[in-house]
Amino acid sequence: MHDLTQSRLLRWAAFFLFVQSIILTISPAVRERTWDVNYRLAHWIGFFAWIVLISIAHRATIKHLPERDPYLLPAAALLAGWGLLTIWRLDEVFGLRQTIWLAISVLVFTLALYTSKNIGFLRRYKYVLLSGGLLITALTLIFGTNPLGFGPRLWLGCCGVYFQPSEPLKLLLVIYLSAYLADRIGTGLLSSRSTLFFPTLMVTSLALLLLIVQRDLGTASLFICIFTVIIFLVTGKRRVLITTVLALSLALVVGYFFIDVIQIRVDGWLNPWNDPTGNSYQIVQSLLAVANGGTVGRGLGLGSPLLVPVAISDFIYAAIAEETGLAGTIGLLILIWLIITRGLIASLRAGDRFRRYLAAGIVTYLGIQSLLIIGGNLRLLPLTGVTLPFVSYGGSSLLTSFIALFILLVISNNEDNEPAQLDDPRPYSLLAGVLALGLAACALTTAWWAIIRAPDLLNRTDNPRRAITDRYVPRGELLDRNNQPINITEGISGTYTRVYTYSDIAPITGYTHPVYGQAGLEATLDDYLRGLQGNPASLIWWDRLIYGTPPPGLDVRLSIDITLQSHADELLGEHAGAIILMNAKTGEIVAIASHPTYDPNKLDSEGEALSQDSSAPLVNRATQGLYPIGTTTMLPLIRAEFGAEELTDSELNLFYEKLGLHQAPAINMPVSFDTEHNSAKDLRMSPLQASLTAALLSNHGVMPVPRIAMAVNTPQQGWVVLSEENQPLEVIQAEAADEAALSFIVEGKPYWSHIGQANVDKTIVTWLLAGTLPNWSGTPLVLVITLEESNILLAQEIRNNILDAALNQ
Amino acid sequence: MSGSIVLALRLITAFALYGFLGWALYLLWRDVQKQGLSLANRRVPGISLTVRREGAASILKHFSQPEIILGRDPGCDIPLIDDTVSTRHAQLTYHHGQWWLEDLESMNGTVLNEMPVSMPTVITSGDEIMCGATRLNVALSEDVLIEPTLKLDKK
Repeated sequence: MHDLTQSRLLRWAAFFLFVQSIILTISPAVRERTWDVNYRLAHWIGFFAWIVLISIAHRATIKHLPERDPYLLPAAALLAGWGLLTIWRLDEVFGLRQTIWLAISVLVFTLALYTSKNIGFLRRYKYVLLSGGLLITALTLIFGTNPLGFGPRLWLGCCGVYFQPSEPLKLLLVIYLSAYLADRIGTGLLSSRSTLFFPTLMVTSLALLLLIVQRDLGTASLFICIFTVIIFLVTGKRRVLITTVLALSLALVVGYFFIDVIQIRVDGWLNPWNDPTGNSYQIVQSLLAVANGGTVGRGLGLGSPLLVPVAISDFIYAAIAEETGLAGTIGLLILIWLIITRGLIASLRAGDRFRRYLAAGIVTYLGIQSLLIIGGNLRLLPLTGVTLPFVSYGGSSLLTSFIALFILLVISNNEDNEPAQLDDPRPYSLLAGVLALGLAACALTTAWWAIIRAPDLLNRTDNPRRAITDRYVPRGELLDRNNQPINITEGISGTYTRVYTYSDIAPITGYTHPVYGQAGLEATLDDYLRGLQGNPASLIWWDRLIYGTPPPGLDVRLSIDITLQSHADELLGEHAGAIILMNAKTGEIVAIASHPTYDPNKLDSEGEALSQDSSAPLVNRATQGLYPIGTTTMLPLIRAEFGAEELTDSELNLFYEKLGLHQAPAINMPVSFDTEHNSAKDLRMSPLQASLTAALLSNHGVMPVPRIAMAVNTPQQGWVVLSEENQPLEVIQAEAADEAALSFIVEGKPYWSHIGQANVDKTIVTWLLAGTLPNWSGTPLVLVITLEESNILLAQEIRNNILDAALNQ
Repeated sequence: MSGSIVLALRLITAFALYGFLGWALYLLWRDVQKQGLSLANRRVPGISLTVRREGAASILKHFSQPEIILGRDPGCDIPLIDDTVSTRHAQLTYHHGQWWLEDLESMNGTVLNEMPVSMPTVITSGDEIMCGATRLNVALSEDVLIEPTLKLDKK
């Protein structure tokens, strides 16, 4: 019966791993959306090795432990196989190493079944075992290394093989404590405090040593927890738990102020969003991975768990969450729960006290270590660098886990002995309850990040998955009003890159770049360009489900006329400043220039220099540059509203407010407005604001709503016009506006024009406002030129050229 | 296309994972059921005790419960009216397929077949127990342990 149960469960496990392996094999085809790819095959080595090794272990347990618990081996084998495949998926070199370690672990496990089924020797040699473990751990103080070359030096290594003595030390500590307490409980000495004095002193000093010398926060706290739980199980006194919890909290507080590693971990835990690229990088990336997994996960090989540092060991839970989702992680947590409950049942059915304490101690060790690292991955607990038993990469960890499994199986194989007497069952139920609550908390937290918080997290600009997606899904193009390309996507799936065919307009249209993020219209129109808006919701849902990406992006048509735009860029040339040519009635921006400009095609090599450049080429001067108005610039508008009246500063200020200079223009791109002026003469405005006020004179006193994104090319309805929510606003009376425009008429031309200058803090700004006359029968246009120099002639030349070109079109 | 295939495979892996867990839980539930049945069907073999006391008629008592307390206390299963017997003197319990005799730290001790009982001792038919001055003769009926009725697993 036991054998049948065990073999059936193992078959389910093998089936699970088999299908996972198939998914991993064909994952490149899904990623690149073509069948012509290099399929992943290496991990089948791991799968078949797992089948062979677990069959060996299965036979050995049938032969040697006929009455063993039949759930423990399948659950542990499934965890080990799942971890193995995940490691193969993350890194094939480590996958091969982990396969070798699995072979070693299973062989040790099987050998132990043949030779040392009677684990009584552990009780006899407890001091030898513990001192041996301590000695080897102590050696790491002198000879310790780290396979990565940096970080805590917790390993002993030679010739490419590394071993972490603190892993088996946990198990040795459990053995020692069980044996020591089982020896003393019968003699009635346990009540006296002196009995507990020696182990307490030893464990505490060991933990402190690990913490202070090795900086191994995880193992130190694990030691304290194991010690406390075993003492609690033996004595049944709750004050043991309370004392430890208080002591640990005190240690945390003291450690926070004196030990930098604790401070970093605690800060990263409490406020990860403050420093997402520095000390909290790991935890933020881990949460992003969990969020990307969602409910069903991306599928093995289809997420990007390698973005999380050390995903193979410390953050393997995040990797599993990303690729199997909430569904997979809940299954994983139930597997751990299965091991915990079956282990505790084995403990309660054990024939003597030593075996009972030993089994309970091992369950504690496996359970708390799992909770510590899973909770750390999920920001439920401060991050501690321990491994996830059976799952994480690490030879020492896997070997120790399998020896622990061997001991549990041997203890569960209590053939005919009556269970030893139990004075108080409550500590055992309490332990089971606390571990169950911990696992449930992990499941709920995973659900919180994967479902409720996922949309916010995935839209963070520091989510590197967006840049990876951009390589596999074409981004929508930015086109001018005649569908001439401005920014386009080139390449094939896997190598899509953004190409900026008309790069002089870069300060306005911006860029999208894996390192420098997004700017300009690329940022504000990102939802359309990325296909998250404008596509049917069902398509977005389906692509997210099967590819984990948005659907292909949609093209957006801008109001820019590329001919007039290039004209404006040529005319402005090397001069710093901005030009806006706008349809005075509809608010459509026909040309918009900001100089100095840059070439976004060269961001890879010049990005750093550009962001440091003192002439600020990245800034969109036309909508974000704020320039002093001075006293003469707004003369045409003042004339229209007040005639020749003398105005006080507050009257002028009120008028500027009416013109909308105290608020941001409503347009779907980054804009600025002056928030810190004190009086009207100090007020600054952007060229965009200036063009909106100038439009009043060419549009009978009505201010248009500025527009630059005109339409989006949807798959179902073709080009759909992007509607505006705001309405044009009558600001000054039509007759007064018309009259003022006519009084600034340029001789022999169908437009009015006015030049003003502002001189603030020794910088001179030249403003030119111009526009078609009210009786102009064609498209009404306004032009604003802002120059960061005193150059009236240049302004006039630009005006004549652009307006002649635009009006004769 | 590949995406849909992999989606189907992903659903199959979820099925396999929860198949494992569901199967494990089903077997655990069966275990509980079996344990309950086996306890419900367990029959304690009857035990008959003949109480003899100097100057009194012997009494025959038959028991089918797994725990019998001997003592002077009226609440005991066999109240012994004898000053040499303690209030709770000794107990007979059935476990591991045997009846066991255990002295409950009585004043005058319990004697089995003229040997003082210092630890739980297995008794059998024909044994003689002495509690103080009272003698009890043990007779066991046939040992019946009925296995629960379960469906045979097809091998």
